[in-house]
Amino acid sequence: MKSDRPGVLHVFDDIEEADNHLPLWWLATLFGAIVFSAGYWLMFHTMHQAKSPMEEYREEAEAHRAQLKQSGPSSDGVLLALSKDPQVLSEGEKVFKTSCVACHGQNGEGVVGPNLTDRFWIHGGGPLAVHASISHGYPDKGMAAWGPVLGQEKVTNVSAWVLAQRNKNLPGKAPQGTEEP
Amino acid sequence: MISPTPQPANAPSPNTIRVEYDDTTVRRFMFASVLFGVVGMLVGLLAATQLAWWQANFNLPYLTFSRIRPLHTNAVIFAFVGNMMFAGVYYSTQRLLKTRMASDALSSIHFWGWQLIIVAAAVSLPLGFSTGKEYAELEWPIDIAIALIWVVFAINFFWTLAKRNEQQLYVAIWFYIATIITVAVLHIVNSLALPLSPLKSYSAFSGVQDALVQWWYGHNAVAFFLTTPILGIMYYFLPKAVGRPVYSYRLSVVHFWSLVFMYIWAGPHHLLYTSLPDWAQSLGMLFSLMLWAPSWGGMLNGLLTLRGAWNKVREEPVLKFFAAGVTFYGMATFEGPLLSIKSVSALAHYTDWIVGHAHGGALGWNGLMAAGMFYWLTPRLFGTKLHSKSAADAHFWVATIGIILYLVSMWIAGINQGLMLKALNPDGSLQYPSFVETLLAIRPMYILRAVGGLLYLGGFLLMAWNLIMTARSGKAVNGVADVLRRADAEPSATAFDVVKGRPIWFSVLTIAAMVAFGMASSTVMAVVMIAVLAVIGEGAYLLSRRDKAAGKPSWFTLVEGRPLAFAVLTLLAVLAGGVAELLPTILVKQAVPETGAAQKPYTALELQGRDIYVREGCYTCHSQMVRPLIGDTQRYGEVSRAEEFIYDHPFQWGSKRTGPDLHRAGGRYPNLWHYSHMVDPRAVSPGSNMPSFEYLASMRLDTAIAPRKLAAMQKLGVPYTNADLEHALETQKAQAEVLTADLKTQGIELAWDTDLTAIIAYLQRLGRDTGVPLTAPPPPTAVVPPPAPAPDPAAPVAPAVPADPAAPPAPAQPVGGAP
Repeated sequence: MKSDRPGVLHVFDDIEEADNHLPLWWLATLFGAIVFSAGYWLMFHTMHQAKSPMEEYREEAEAHRAQLKQSGPSSDGVLLALSKDPQVLSEGEKVFKTSCVACHGQNGEGVVGPNLTDRFWIHGGGPLAVHASISHGYPDKGMAAWGPVLGQEKVTNVSAWVLAQRNKNLPGKAPQGTEEP
Repeated sequence: MISPTPQPANAPSPNTIRVEYDDTTVRRFMFASVLFGVVGMLVGLLAATQLAWWQANFNLPYLTFSRIRPLHTNAVIFAFVGNMMFAGVYYSTQRLLKTRMASDALSSIHFWGWQLIIVAAAVSLPLGFSTGKEYAELEWPIDIAIALIWVVFAINFFWTLAKRNEQQLYVAIWFYIATIITVAVLHIVNSLALPLSPLKSYSAFSGVQDALVQWWYGHNAVAFFLTTPILGIMYYFLPKAVGRPVYSYRLSVVHFWSLVFMYIWAGPHHLLYTSLPDWAQSLGMLFSLMLWAPSWGGMLNGLLTLRGAWNKVREEPVLKFFAAGVTFYGMATFEGPLLSIKSVSALAHYTDWIVGHAHGGALGWNGLMAAGMFYWLTPRLFGTKLHSKSAADAHFWVATIGIILYLVSMWIAGINQGLMLKALNPDGSLQYPSFVETLLAIRPMYILRAVGGLLYLGGFLLMAWNLIMTARSGKAVNGVADVLRRADAEPSATAFDVVKGRPIWFSVLTIAAMVAFGMASSTVMAVVMIAVLAVIGEGAYLLSRRDKAAGKPSWFTLVEGRPLAFAVLTLLAVLAGGVAELLPTILVKQAVPETGAAQKPYTALELQGRDIYVREGCYTCHSQMVRPLIGDTQRYGEVSRAEEFIYDHPFQWGSKRTGPDLHRAGGRYPNLWHYSHMVDPRAVSPGSNMPSFEYLASMRLDTAIAPRKLAAMQKLGVPYTNADLEHALETQKAQAEVLTADLKTQGIELAWDTDLTAIIAYLQRLGRDTGVPLTAPPPPTAVVPPPAPAPDPAAPVAPAVPADPAAPPAPAQPVGGAP
């Protein structure tokens, strides 16, 4: 209810209610946030003058891919990272389908060469080991050295693809080598 | 209208009546809140202990972290704060409206019904009955009970408003009205589900839509269950306790309406960088930023009411609790908008920073406000004085230190782990490829957090003792007041006066212009709309100034005298944000067949496994959402896409990564790895704090229900054919047997119809189209072409390449490790 006391607007159950001015700095934060929001929306969603998170990611991913390739297969981490990159995988798959299928089968299930989709590896199934096998080969056992033929980039791409096929266990050639869990 | 001077009790005028308030209900709710506060915090302390020492899971399903965590959140939110809120609402509403609650029977039903719901939750959650949606885990029969009891509360409350003896509604009542209406809307929409059995249902929404509805609910449960009712309570009890006028009525008006309007829009800030459309993410972020000032309006009105009375705050424990509670509210509502900024969220989301933020609100705001109110109420409800003021002081300091330990440890843990997870080496590879490494780095903080929680609980127990001793020193008394009967005649203003009120039309125009601005495709249109908004704002300001100078009564005064109009307007303000965000996203459903054509539904076994994933609460520690951030994609794989989730009823994106993301886990590890990891996580992932789920190996799957599950999903729009349903039992068994046969080749005997088999099948399916094959592949030897003397006749292991041994076998890495 209304109050007669000076400076008091209402009284409810003996609680007095004053009616002071809104603090200016508080109003500034309110309107500031509203103006910022309008500007943000305008930039991002009306004029498209700023990159969306997805566009930003694509650019970063591109740069990151370049960084990984440039540093070469210096560590397992690099190769594993590449083996999760859809673009690298599709390039790697192209290489595989032209240069590797003859001995390893359409999907790596093995023909003359070993099955690449099981858990068994003759020369090691770790990322760097796979890369080295492709790059330097084991000529005495029928595996060519593809490094000089394909070039570093393609070897890296196809290594990434092969790494992504591990443990898919496609029906194919019987396991060879030692089991890696 | 009533005269402002209270009538002396000994000279009753014909219009004066004596009112005895129903304080029995208040006492009940208060002690229920104290009791469930202890329970809820005790469970929280257990959960905190489990995160630091996995042994505290005790290998018991009912005590496993992932089932205990929903119990903790539900107990604290709905049992502790819920009962506290009802105590405060019942006490203050009767006094602010100068009337007893309309119906003692409804009050009683409300109280006992709510406690029954709490007991049902306390039993069903540890047993694993869960919908898998955070803070809404309770299954459908309990959801219906909640809705019914809430309606009982609403009827009782609005009926009391109808028979009130005070024409105008005080700001506390506004907040109660907003609470009652909005919680009802949120709860009903988010709980929409298709029941499968008496204790199991599937969310009516799926994937992105389910995520949006869930966080519209989840965020606003914080807003309208943990915030608005407590603001109302603050507006009553704080000025009462300090005996000073509330700082500003106009601040109340501005911050109330802006708060209820803006809060609803902010839900998507829980889904930044997910598969939610970017426009919705931006709305979530921007409305969170704009929400900062309205939230601080409440804090300011509280703190500035204490202005000039800080000497009292030093002496009176009640005021200490209120002052600190309001300050923590201010802190949490500053941190909230900060965390909603996309780039901050990129670091902080899924980390303990969010956990700390939630507890800044729960322990700091809710817990301290509850304590202040209890210390103030108990002596008055029992006609005595507080048993021990120094114990209350001690409680305050212990609680404050506890909160600070909690918050600081979670800040450090969250930021530290967030940075470690995204750190890259100069060559571009992950600096900390093993997830467990980052978890071990913050383990000291987990221990510190448990200590903080322990302190807080200790203080709370001290309060419980103090309140009980206080109650025992007095006896229950009910408040009595002589009040002037409100004139029966309705106020001169009519409904028409409300509707033609200028603020309504300005609001409608503003929202229309806002929508037009948001949807504008051309810059010119958008700028025009900004100009229109500026004109509307300026016009409203000038006209209201003119009216004020002319001494015209404000429209707000009018509405504040008409509860029905007030409630309807609040509902409209709240619905605006919900409709604007949910509707477009739900209408997109029409487009799903196109975008999701390639998506294959789960097999019967995978669906069963998914239900176990939900039952065990895996989402409490694992997300299923790879965000478009290098740190995420490097560690987990390809960015998650919206269409991959269209058959997920409910979605399981999660909100915290105590373990790694699982969306691309399918096919990454062999079945044996999963088996070993579930039975003894530390066997394959040393240092992990995941509980053992060995018990899943001995739990038998309800295999017979599979066809009914597929049928339920079919009803929800998942494209299973009738043939799928008919053959569900066979395919379920066949796929399970492929899996167990594979395990058997490695010496593991697992029955095909166990929960463990099903959950492994589900995990192997995550993030890809094919999981465990439905039929066993023919033995490898059968396919081998007649072996010509091959160049590599079972060559012995010859790691001729020097680099070889450096590489550890990838799948043996800890979870989320190098692969």
